[in-house]
Amino acid sequence: MKLAFIVATLLVLLALPSVAQPYYVTLVLPAFAYAIALLGFNLLFGYTGLLSFGHALFVAIGAYGAAVLSSKLGVRSFELVLLLSGLAAVAAAVPVALLSVRYVRIFFGILTLAFGMLFHSFLFKFYDLTGGDTGIRVLRPSLFGNGYEALDKTAFLVGPFYYYCLALLVALAIAMWRIVHSPFGLHLAAIRENPRKAEYLGVRVRFFRLIAFLISAFYCAVGGTILAINTGQADPELAYWTHSGELVFMTVLGGFASFFGPLIGAFAFIFLKSELMGATQYWRFWLGAILVLIVVLFPRGLVGIGQALWTKVRRA
Amino acid sequence: MTALIATEGVSRSYGAFVALDGVSLSIAEGELVSIVGPNGAGKTTLVNVLTGLLEPTAGVVRFKGEDIAGIGPVRLARRGMARAFQLVHIFPALTVAESIAVAVISQTGRSLRLFACAKKDAALRARVREVAAIFGLEAKLDSEARLLSQGEKKLLDIASAFALSPEVILLDEPTSGVSSGDKHGIMRNVIDAAGRAGVKAIILVEHDMDLVAEYSSRIVALTAGKVLADRPPAAFFSDPEIIAAVVGKRVGKLAQGA
Amino acid sequence: MTAFFDIVIGGVFHAAVLFLVAAGLQLVFGVQKIVNLACGSFYALGAYFGISAVQWAMAAGLPAALFLPVLLAAGLVLGLLIGPAIEALLRTVYDRDEAFQLLLTFALVLMIQDVLRFFWGANPQQLGNLVMEYGKLTLGTVQVPAYNVLVILASIAIALGIGAFLQRTRFGRSLRATAENREMSEALGVNVRWMYASVFTLGTVLGTVGGALVVPTAAASLDMPVELVVEAFAVVVIGGLGSMRGALVGALIVGLMRAAAISWYAELEMLAIYLVVIVVLIARPAGLFGRPVE
Repeated sequence: MKLAFIVATLLVLLALPSVAQPYYVTLVLPAFAYAIALLGFNLLFGYTGLLSFGHALFVAIGAYGAAVLSSKLGVRSFELVLLLSGLAAVAAAVPVALLSVRYVRIFFGILTLAFGMLFHSFLFKFYDLTGGDTGIRVLRPSLFGNGYEALDKTAFLVGPFYYYCLALLVALAIAMWRIVHSPFGLHLAAIRENPRKAEYLGVRVRFFRLIAFLISAFYCAVGGTILAINTGQADPELAYWTHSGELVFMTVLGGFASFFGPLIGAFAFIFLKSELMGATQYWRFWLGAILVLIVVLFPRGLVGIGQALWTKVRRA
Repeated sequence: MTALIATEGVSRSYGAFVALDGVSLSIAEGELVSIVGPNGAGKTTLVNVLTGLLEPTAGVVRFKGEDIAGIGPVRLARRGMARAFQLVHIFPALTVAESIAVAVISQTGRSLRLFACAKKDAALRARVREVAAIFGLEAKLDSEARLLSQGEKKLLDIASAFALSPEVILLDEPTSGVSSGDKHGIMRNVIDAAGRAGVKAIILVEHDMDLVAEYSSRIVALTAGKVLADRPPAAFFSDPEIIAAVVGKRVGKLAQGA
Repeated sequence: MTAFFDIVIGGVFHAAVLFLVAAGLQLVFGVQKIVNLACGSFYALGAYFGISAVQWAMAAGLPAALFLPVLLAAGLVLGLLIGPAIEALLRTVYDRDEAFQLLLTFALVLMIQDVLRFFWGANPQQLGNLVMEYGKLTLGTVQVPAYNVLVILASIAIALGIGAFLQRTRFGRSLRATAENREMSEALGVNVRWMYASVFTLGTVLGTVGGALVVPTAAASLDMPVELVVEAFAVVVIGGLGSMRGALVGALIVGLMRAAAISWYAELEMLAIYLVVIVVLIARPAGLFGRPVE
């Protein structure tokens, strides 16, 4: 049943550029970006039980990595940009994680928030290096060496780049699926459920949290890179704590207790936000109201709602 | 008989309060040693020192000849000692199979395999099934731990400690919260399983003197941080002073039976 | 020398206002174990509402010199109105995981953001030169706006008041007991539900009053809610989660650091504060006065 849904969704996504208006297709690109980022984020949150309020930091590193590499260092290969930005995020994550995984719950949240804002402050203030509040331009990358110069920006984004990102999402999702179902993933779940007992069973809790953190940073950076190429700009607001909050929002909206929840959450959030922004200038209010509904009434998110409906349908 | 685990003159103070005072004991292969004593006698502190959780303020604690003062639970488990708690510790959302698997995987040292599929590992599943069967949990392998009865959760807690294939296992009131009819059954299962699993020694902390009398090879009684007695059951229960100090007034049945 | 005093007074003034918000955070965390991301939003609401209140009051003929009591009253009234309402909402997630409580307060941040926009628009609002109504005080060779001094004194008075309240009143004692051990408190007959509602309202009032008091010297803007949160968090981390003394000391440290940074090396401003937060969390996670955790 699940497989059918997945295949159907993939087919729809594959067909989209051919049937839908470019406007809608360009909306799907941020959805891809956030879907990838959230796959990583939820490894840390849903699977390991650590709520970070600073993961936008790694999304921003991905974005600025793409910007610096393309605008300032002339690197145009998307593969190289992805790899280098991802590694940069992992490198940055090492000290952050080493310092943060000693703590849990609210202290972890506050510490990660502080790190995120530290980076934001750095991006904002040191305008000689980072372009300050305007940020840095991101130039179009080449995909597998092909620059697609004949295509204009939109055609590139809704064409080759779209398919590339879709394939990237599928590949990274499969990788994450395997990670989550591996012995490593089982240990993470044990750590989430009862860290003390896990220790008594010989599980090195801090070390595993660290690894999960590093993987999540990599995924978030990949997402950030895609975001930045889509908009053509890397700006400091990507690192602001409210952006981290949105990552959590999306994850919980989709359903943090499920593998596919965050993916659904990313798409749902992007479309929701877009529709709301078009309908009213007070879209933040309605987004907040939706979050309240989710938290109070539907904590398992859209996936939870779907599962509940499915059970009801099967019983009837 | 070389000691498997031993303390020499271990003391532990918290400021002015002396929790343990010069405790020396040793446990050798094949023994089941019970630690008994009234509340506040220092049992928990002793257990924490024996399991490397607390450093003694004086004295040495050794496991297989090596100093284990304060090494912490993770390294302790790796060296071959497991501990099951008095208050049930489980992984609520994990199934029985998964809970046991965590221990098995951790013990094989292959925890960092990121891309292997845990469910498909036949050797792992066999071992998990084996451990579950010892404790009668085979039927519940796919149930989430939080849905088990209190007694079953206790068994799961002990089972996962067993799955580490430890050489020494420390059981902290393993039958508390279990109905008295089941207690002996559980103890027999555990001792039997320990034998089969290659566990070399068991340390038992218990309040139930029936169990202590029945299954211990030796009993260590603590009062006010000191060792009051360290004897096999027969000698232990035939001394009315010891019984009075440790047990209070429940002299009748034990004096007859032992 | 004058520059130095300016920094000190500016820093202490900012600290006085920050202390109010941080104290609110500490009370709510201490008793209910909830970290309120919307503390900055309450602050902003107090600021905007304070401006409106003063504008109405003056349009109604009130002499300009009375604007300080008007601000205090505005902050108080607003806090008393919205505190219980929001606490009722939070009540639905008291027994849930911390993450959900945090998210609910984040949702409030989003919603209140647009509430501000709806009632007051997107442009920053301010009270013009009302500060001058109270003139300047001359301390030795320096001149300080009297208003700033009044606010500092008011904040000190509130701090002492809270201290006395916590130590000397029955309610205060129940509050501290509940913070230590909720079940025990309930067993001893404390009406925890009422306590939670009161504490949250008190925390809200501290936030709204803080915001109201700051507006004569700074504009109220839509950035306030999200920016203040980070500073308030810095204060409670440095001071120690749950500690009132920590809120005081933390506020002073953050306030003075910020004032110094703005004057000397603008780029460093918030960066320095975040660094201090990180260093404190690493070296002494409990903060200066908090209780050690994990």
